[in-house]
Amino acid sequence: MDKDLIAALAEAAGLDKALAEFPEDVAAAAAQALRTAAAIKAPSDPAAEPWPPMRVGIGL
Amino acid sequence: MTALHWLSATDAAQAIARRDVSPVELTRALLARIEQLDPKLHVFIRLDAEAALDAARAAETEIVNGRPRGKLHGIPVGIKDIIDVAGLPTTCHSKILLDNVAKTDAAVIARLREAGAIVLGKLSTHEFAIGGPSFDLPFPPARNPWNPDHHPGGSSSGAGAGVAAGLFPLALGSDTGGSVRNPASCCGIVGMKPTYGLVSRRGVFPLSYTLDHIGPLTRTVADSALVLDAIAGHDPADPASAPSTARDFGREIGCGVKGLRIGFIRHFHQTDIPAHPEVAAALEEVARVLEAEGASIRSVTLPSLVEFAAVNRVILTSEAYSVHATWLREHPGDYGKLSRQRLLPGAFIPAGVYVDAQRRRTEMIAAIEDALRDFDVLLCASSMDPPSRIEDAAETARTYPRQARSPFNVTGHPALAMMAGLSRDGLPLSVQFVGRYFHDASLYRVAGTYERATEADKRRPPIG
Repeated sequence: MDKDLIAALAEAAGLDKALAEFPEDVAAAAAQALRTAAAIKAPSDPAAEPWPPMRVGIGL
Repeated sequence: MTALHWLSATDAAQAIARRDVSPVELTRALLARIEQLDPKLHVFIRLDAEAALDAARAAETEIVNGRPRGKLHGIPVGIKDIIDVAGLPTTCHSKILLDNVAKTDAAVIARLREAGAIVLGKLSTHEFAIGGPSFDLPFPPARNPWNPDHHPGGSSSGAGAGVAAGLFPLALGSDTGGSVRNPASCCGIVGMKPTYGLVSRRGVFPLSYTLDHIGPLTRTVADSALVLDAIAGHDPADPASAPSTARDFGREIGCGVKGLRIGFIRHFHQTDIPAHPEVAAALEEVARVLEAEGASIRSVTLPSLVEFAAVNRVILTSEAYSVHATWLREHPGDYGKLSRQRLLPGAFIPAGVYVDAQRRRTEMIAAIEDALRDFDVLLCASSMDPPSRIEDAAETARTYPRQARSPFNVTGHPALAMMAGLSRDGLPLSVQFVGRYFHDASLYRVAGTYERATEADKRRPPIG
């Protein structure tokens, strides 16, 4: 991810202090988030709903 | 006679009921053991010796006067330091919460006390159950009693190390991506993640609301069931608490596995994340033992472990960021480096990806439910490697994610990890069993059979 874009996203998230004090951690976090998000496959059923997010044995 | 510090909770409770052992005698023996070994293992963040002895004296009086409280009367227990114990700080192993004294007991602590258990103190964890093992926190990381140069797993690291070292027979931990089962696997004990919603999370500092579970770490399968009997039950104050009345979780221990259908998820450790050869061999040996005991073992295919891990990571990171965003904005330097690195990605995950992960989650739940129509229990890897050296940060970072525990945080099915022998280097190897919702007892049936057949509960680390 582009350095300026990371800075813009971090500032938008209110992480100015983290960006100033730990720029390498913020950059690594952005890269990690990108990899993690890319690993999610789109659900096969467009009607699959996520709510409730977790309640075992009900509605499954 | 077995030394007091190696007594199982089941045996200790029987000895106490017969008045062969007193709770004070047992507590003093464990405190002496803690004094001897904790300087090497760093299990405790806070030992509450005086309160434990007071509780032991009270238990002794109650027992002498014929007023038994419950199945854990007089049994000491260690508590992961993200779980509230009234009057003690819940630090989460973090500088941020050093002065965070709990006003009331967490629901699980109240239930343990009702059963008569004695709280010994608060145990090491990864910072906020996510950042560790780390050397830049206010307390040192726990070490593995099988070899203190190695990590004990985490995040319930003090719980795993303390139970394995004989500092206490029981501990409570939390499990969001495997944090009860990882230390159980690394320390050669039994770690149980119950069905999601079976055990209340009230009074436990959250990591990820829809993935968090509370569970016991013990040296024996019967002890694990004993603790689950004490802590399970509906809690209207926990929004995820299930209206389950399941009880007597140890009822199937001793029934054997004859006729049981076990699905072996081989692709998790053979192709998805190829395991260390000793781990792979140990898993085949577990299958052989259970087959010899009368179970039928067949391979079963589920979604890829890599995809389960991605769903777990997106959900965990997003929800954990929601918990920590204010502190990360205001004083990011108060976190250890690993916590900061593991929490900050939540700021960069789009909302749509989080929702997609939750939607994929329902499909993954359906896949496991389908498998459990053909099988009574599933068998798979827990850790893909023996525990690495604690000071080898690169190897720890490489091996920590090589595990098959997070799928069952995603789906909420009950899952138990236990010892499956030792590596050539003398470090524990492990196996995991997975069951149907609220059929937690079936895991104890299979694990109990394996334990009896192999005497897995008789192995002790070469310490003290």
